[in-house]
Amino acid sequence: MSSVVLRTENVTQRFGGLCAVSNASIEVREGEIVGIIGPNGAGKSTLFNDITGLYTPTEGKIYFYDQDITGKKPYEITKLGLARTFQNIRLFPTMTVLENVMLGAHCRTKANLLDVVLHTRRNKKEEQDIRERALDILRITELYDFRYNYATSLPYGMQRRLEFARAIASNPKILMFDEPAAGMNEEETQDLNVFIKKLQDMGYTILLIEHDMKLVMNICERIYVLDHGALISHGTPEQIRSDPRVIEAYLGKEE
Amino acid sequence: MARKILQGWAKWEKYINAFLLLVAVVFPILFTRPYLINVGVMCLIYVLLSLSLNILTGYMGITGLGWAGFFGIGAYTAAILATRFQVNFLLTFLAAAVVSAIFGLIIGLPTLKLSGRYIAIVTMAFCEIMRTLEVNLDGLTRGSRGIPNIPKIGFGEFNFSRTVQYYLILAIVVLTMIVITRLMNSRVGRGILSVKDDDIAASAMGVNPFRYKVMTFAIAAMFAGLAGAFYAHYIGFIDPTSFTFDQSTIIISMTIIGGLGNVMGSVLGAVTLTVLPEILRPLMDVRQIVYGVLMVITMLVRPMGVLGGFNLRHIRQQMGIGKEEKARELSSTEN
Repeated sequence: MSSVVLRTENVTQRFGGLCAVSNASIEVREGEIVGIIGPNGAGKSTLFNDITGLYTPTEGKIYFYDQDITGKKPYEITKLGLARTFQNIRLFPTMTVLENVMLGAHCRTKANLLDVVLHTRRNKKEEQDIRERALDILRITELYDFRYNYATSLPYGMQRRLEFARAIASNPKILMFDEPAAGMNEEETQDLNVFIKKLQDMGYTILLIEHDMKLVMNICERIYVLDHGALISHGTPEQIRSDPRVIEAYLGKEE
Repeated sequence: MARKILQGWAKWEKYINAFLLLVAVVFPILFTRPYLINVGVMCLIYVLLSLSLNILTGYMGITGLGWAGFFGIGAYTAAILATRFQVNFLLTFLAAAVVSAIFGLIIGLPTLKLSGRYIAIVTMAFCEIMRTLEVNLDGLTRGSRGIPNIPKIGFGEFNFSRTVQYYLILAIVVLTMIVITRLMNSRVGRGILSVKDDDIAASAMGVNPFRYKVMTFAIAAMFAGLAGAFYAHYIGFIDPTSFTFDQSTIIISMTIIGGLGNVMGSVLGAVTLTVLPEILRPLMDVRQIVYGVLMVITMLVRPMGVLGGFNLRHIRQQMGIGKEEKARELSSTEN
């Protein structure tokens, strides 16, 4: 059995009286594509934010390769090898497409103030290296031709892809996509499907939140279902499809 | 039309900069009247101040309303060292920059977790606190009597002429511009911009926003302190009235009107707002109106300042004449 990349242990997140996530324990193994689904407001994004350090869980622990990362800052977690995208795209508008991707490699580069101001050889070499790497990633994501455009001038679908590119640039062990297909049409979703499979072939482990059932059922090997903050089901797409609790959460109870 | 001009500027930037530098270099040779050289020096001191604030406000996106506070720290550090301990100007400059940067850290560390507008108020209060300290720490600053007879810039008995001092501040300004340009076109600069654009996304991409804010604050304060040290030696007398909130307002007006996030913007803003009052001197009180109208028009037409937000490197890249592009073409033909 391959090793566990990410594991949450009874994670609970309360906001005042509201319990957004309760007792969620999930597990992602190396090389897997795992999905988290659930109706609106089920606590999917909250769980994501707990894992990536944007929030600190009220209770519970989060492990990344057996290392406790509960309560660590987002930039520390990213450095360990966990990269994410956002549900509402968050690119850097005053930077070009290329620079956005180069920034993704921030935690893998070292140039400090002195290097930068003195233009040391180390800085020049490093800058050239991440530039080449960023351009490679832009070729994979088919954004190369737009490398000098401002990030937010791109059409929506491309902005999404740029967010993936930026996340990949941080050289992560696990990629976490928050609703990657949101706002995409059928064709774009199909492309995304292929793209995520490609990422898996490249050796990335992927955890994603998604509304688009078709996408989730197509690519995920295992699925967790959240409803009202609690995990109500877990299994392969076939198991999930036929689980009465899932159907109830999505469609309501049969009278 | 505007786009054409911008592209032209981007294309010929090197030559335009060389020309502007040439103008700055021959200025004291063509105009030898002390009054004019004096205006030139004041322009350059304000360019340096405006540049330093541009690092913080333009690139980092933190509004610094009390910038005269750091200007004052630099000036007082240099003045006290020079008058009491006869320290040479090279060391007073260095000390002023370091002390000012340390004050930047002291103010930045506890407050930079606040969001933008609250930091603006903190810097404003800071300026006022510094002024009050300058007035009341009589033993150190001689209070409102000020510090007179600050040694001129020079070595021992030998003092630099006004023209040489002009060249010295010009050199400091050019160096500062090079440092800022290198900084912003680097890994560190990308970090700074990312935090300004979206600190949550920056954090998720591995940038520590707080660290970047504190660092930028200290660097910006350092250059303001340097400007203060030069000012103290050049004028030869300082008192707390030079470092009031009014002074801060002038500095931030220069930075904003000239252009946020653009080095040349600071030059334009500082030179315009230093020279204009001199030209409009005969108009007396009416010039305040001219000044105000100018500001309102800029804010309406270009809220980021006249040259604000233009990134010439990006424009060159988009035109396909960027430095990196050329290097790539060369290497690909060689292979």
